[in-house]
Amino acid sequence: MQSVDRVLAGDRRAFEALVRRRERRVFRVTLAILGNTEDAEEAMQDAFLKAFRHLGQFRRDARFTTWLTRIAVNAAIEKRKTRKDFLPLSESENANEPFLPKNYEPWKSNPEQIFGKQEIHRLVEEAIQALPEIYRTAFVLRDVEELSAEEAAEALGLTVPALKSRLLRGRLMMRERLAAALEVRPTLQKKVLESAVDLGTAVAERLMRAVGR
Amino acid sequence: MRTDMDCKEVTANMSCYIDGDGSEELRKALREHVAQCRRCRVVFDTTGQMLGMVRDAEPFEVPLAVSARLYSRLEKIFSET
Repeated sequence: MQSVDRVLAGDRRAFEALVRRRERRVFRVTLAILGNTEDAEEAMQDAFLKAFRHLGQFRRDARFTTWLTRIAVNAAIEKRKTRKDFLPLSESENANEPFLPKNYEPWKSNPEQIFGKQEIHRLVEEAIQALPEIYRTAFVLRDVEELSAEEAAEALGLTVPALKSRLLRGRLMMRERLAAALEVRPTLQKKVLESAVDLGTAVAERLMRAVGR
Repeated sequence: MRTDMDCKEVTANMSCYIDGDGSEELRKALREHVAQCRRCRVVFDTTGQMLGMVRDAEPFEVPLAVSARLYSRLEKIFSET
């Protein structure tokens, strides 16, 4: 990579340019793991300093972005360990149970016109911040930073299936949280009608299964 | 072809539909279920809407002060090395 070579040759401005292109990603990653701006800022600084000092170890066959993201993840994890309230991360008790949606109403089709861009921005950020950390990190890397599942898994030190399982839960939780503001409240008549259809479908499914299709 | 997926299984495989992962057979089974099942259709559609909103919102910009402190720390390190 050209800019990495320039930094290794002593071009400090090249490193600054490299930081400018990736500071938002590194900040989002550290914020996703740490949950507050102050800690995320410190971890971001640590990550870039570490990247600068260890640039010589960067393998040219890897993607620079993935390498840097991994450093950012580790810097945030290190930072978290220094907290007084540190607890090792674990899947929530019911992580192996499928997450079942609770909201089944469609959403308003033009939320930006109803709420305005700033309000939507606030709703989205609050919903992401409210996710439990293990789902938030998977969601941010994949759906905000748009890394591939393989890149996100590598950056978080997870298998691809584990990443995908956390991502699905994160997506469903995000949907539930935003549904409270965005769903179209049905009329009572529509609700009764749809309940009857849903009940009919469930009964039909059960009957089909009972008779072995 | 699988035609026996229930709603739980369909939700568990939603990411295959969204990301275009998995076999064509699985995606076809998901499409067929969603076409017939109002609840799963709402879950899939609104998840797609949510992802579009997240993309458009571009959340978590680096605050200007945070960015400024980063560059000032880098300058300091550069001047020391």
